[in-house]
Amino acid sequence: MSFRLRMMGPLIMIFLAAIGYPLLSSFALSLTNYKITQRNATKFVGLAQYKDVLQDRSYWSSLTVTLIFIITAVILELAIGLAIAMALQNQKRFRNFTRSFLLTPMFVTPIAVGLMFRFLLNDQLGVIPALLNKIGINYDFFGPSRAIYSIVAIDVWQWTPFMVLLLLAGLESLSKQPFEAARVDGASPFYTFRRVTLPMLAPILTVAVLIRSLDASKVFEYVYAITRGGPGTQTQTIQYFTYKTGIQFYRLGQASAMSYLLLLIVISIVVVLFHRIEKVRAME
Amino acid sequence: MRRISSRNAITAIFAIAVLSLVSACSSSIKDTSATGKITADTTGTVRVLMEGVPDTDVVKGLLAEFNKEYPKVDVMIEPIAYDQIRDKIVASFQASDPTYDLAIIDNPWMGDFARAGFLKPLDDLISATSGYDYEDFAAPLRAIGEVDGKVYGVPFYNYGLGLIYRSDLITTEPITLDELAATAKKLNSSARAGIAMQPQTGYKAFEEWGNYLFAAGGSIYGGDGKVHLNTLEAKKALNTYIAMYKSSAPKNSLNWAFDEALRSVSSGKSAMMVSYNWMLPTLNKVGGVSGDLAGKFKLATMPGGKQVLGSWDWAIPANSKVSDAAWAFISWITSKAGEAKRVSAGGAPARIGVLSDPAVSSTGGGADYYATVTKILANAEPLCRGSNCDEMITAVGTELNAAVAGLKSVDKALASAEEQANKIQTP
Repeated sequence: MSFRLRMMGPLIMIFLAAIGYPLLSSFALSLTNYKITQRNATKFVGLAQYKDVLQDRSYWSSLTVTLIFIITAVILELAIGLAIAMALQNQKRFRNFTRSFLLTPMFVTPIAVGLMFRFLLNDQLGVIPALLNKIGINYDFFGPSRAIYSIVAIDVWQWTPFMVLLLLAGLESLSKQPFEAARVDGASPFYTFRRVTLPMLAPILTVAVLIRSLDASKVFEYVYAITRGGPGTQTQTIQYFTYKTGIQFYRLGQASAMSYLLLLIVISIVVVLFHRIEKVRAME
Repeated sequence: MRRISSRNAITAIFAIAVLSLVSACSSSIKDTSATGKITADTTGTVRVLMEGVPDTDVVKGLLAEFNKEYPKVDVMIEPIAYDQIRDKIVASFQASDPTYDLAIIDNPWMGDFARAGFLKPLDDLISATSGYDYEDFAAPLRAIGEVDGKVYGVPFYNYGLGLIYRSDLITTEPITLDELAATAKKLNSSARAGIAMQPQTGYKAFEEWGNYLFAAGGSIYGGDGKVHLNTLEAKKALNTYIAMYKSSAPKNSLNWAFDEALRSVSSGKSAMMVSYNWMLPTLNKVGGVSGDLAGKFKLATMPGGKQVLGSWDWAIPANSKVSDAAWAFISWITSKAGEAKRVSAGGAPARIGVLSDPAVSSTGGGADYYATVTKILANAEPLCRGSNCDEMITAVGTELNAAVAGLKSVDKALASAEEQANKIQTP
């Protein structure tokens, strides 16, 4: 065995133990009808669980809810994050204080954020409905067709700082010369933003969107703490649905199949996305 | 070959030594017969996971008295939030060395846990305990703990629902569903809602609506043992429920559950609610949550007289290593005398006998309250029987909430609820 491989040995072993074993174990589980309360009746069912999941309308509806959540949340986080990052880049005084303050929401555990907003948006106790009532607005944050966007707003509050952090680092690493050239040529700020900043920031933007999208696909805590998937199933995300199936209803085999299908979908999207990025880079 | 045998012999000696050491260490745990003939010198540490609610505090307060009779049984209560109880006890049920020696079981879990072999049958223990009078527990509560002809749980306290209303606003208790709807509508004003409802998706929606279903003359299960929710009675109940939500419930309360409804009623913002019967003493407690409204609340059975029932049961895990000590505690706390002490201290009753005990009825909610609780416990039914109850209740409750939210028609929601419930409960 070469020296390089021997040096990689510990990492490979840790990887196999910490990631490989749980992955293989849950894959094995997904090929059985394992149910915690019927362990003695467990049998190998092959891909039957996968077939059942694919035919389950609730699975696809949860996936759709998750997709709506990801797209809305990430677009808003990107837009607001970029605006804040550009503003911070030009800030002259109290830079460190502002940046530290803005990052605070990121350091609160999501379940605590969920509980906090459950009370903040509560019609009986919440400050926000009370303030809105004072100006004559009565808004049901968790009503039909609204609850999902309230959950999105909570995610935007917590994770826009992450976008700011990434994009600010990206903006500050950009070469100054193209900007100076644009200024000398008399380009307007909007033109500079569209033709210089955005193209140069594209790789960072892609990574930021990818990381946030993957993270947003795991949304669970806000749903668990606030809506429990309601009204109806309008906020039932894929993670909450999987949790219900595996933990609440004991069907770990089926929940494993759900997770593997999700993994497959996510990996496919990531691979396609990276392939396209590489293609664009090669063309440039 | 000889070398391998030697190694095996050494391993065996080592294993015996370890086992001896373990058994020596655990010699303080005495679990002799598990037949129910529990003597006062029964020894053991009984670890129990319980919900962090006032009923648990009441039990904790009685431990010193229990130890006067069983000085060598140490009961260690771990209070925890409801959401975490089930996962922790299920993990303990499956461990070779359990974390908990005694469990409290919520009624939707009973069928699954008993059939999974997680719980020990208690029939022999009950029949061997002299003067226990198991039949004294309210019949619907007993039925929850009995699975496939065996007793797996002894009632701890009831979760029977009833109508809690402001007696200064309502002089005549509604006795039909239409009267309930009319009363709620009449009392509804800009300052106060007619009724605080709990249509939150899942358990809460079904738990509340189940009472409306009974009031409309319907039932959850038909004579064939299947779920029958796509019926005329169910449609009337759901239409009334939705109409009441629209006309008489607080605005924006689609996601409300127990806490929100209680807050609304106790602060005077709603005139009534369908809730657990044992909330009445809490609401009427002077200096309690209701402030100046204390003493103005009354409890009635649901219109039609039948209501939804829930319960917590005491059970012994099949893997408990101190089942004698666990039964010593269960049989003491649920005995007639133990129940009288617990209910007098503010616990919710499970035995019928205790409700007519003058010493008990002079405490807490008073004689009227206990008389109504007796009626509630005499005619009540849980939301689900058999297996997969959590899933069945969640599925039905999700459909009901969707109908209240206007996302589905009443007909579609009930048809879907019935179909899903039967599919989930089919073995």
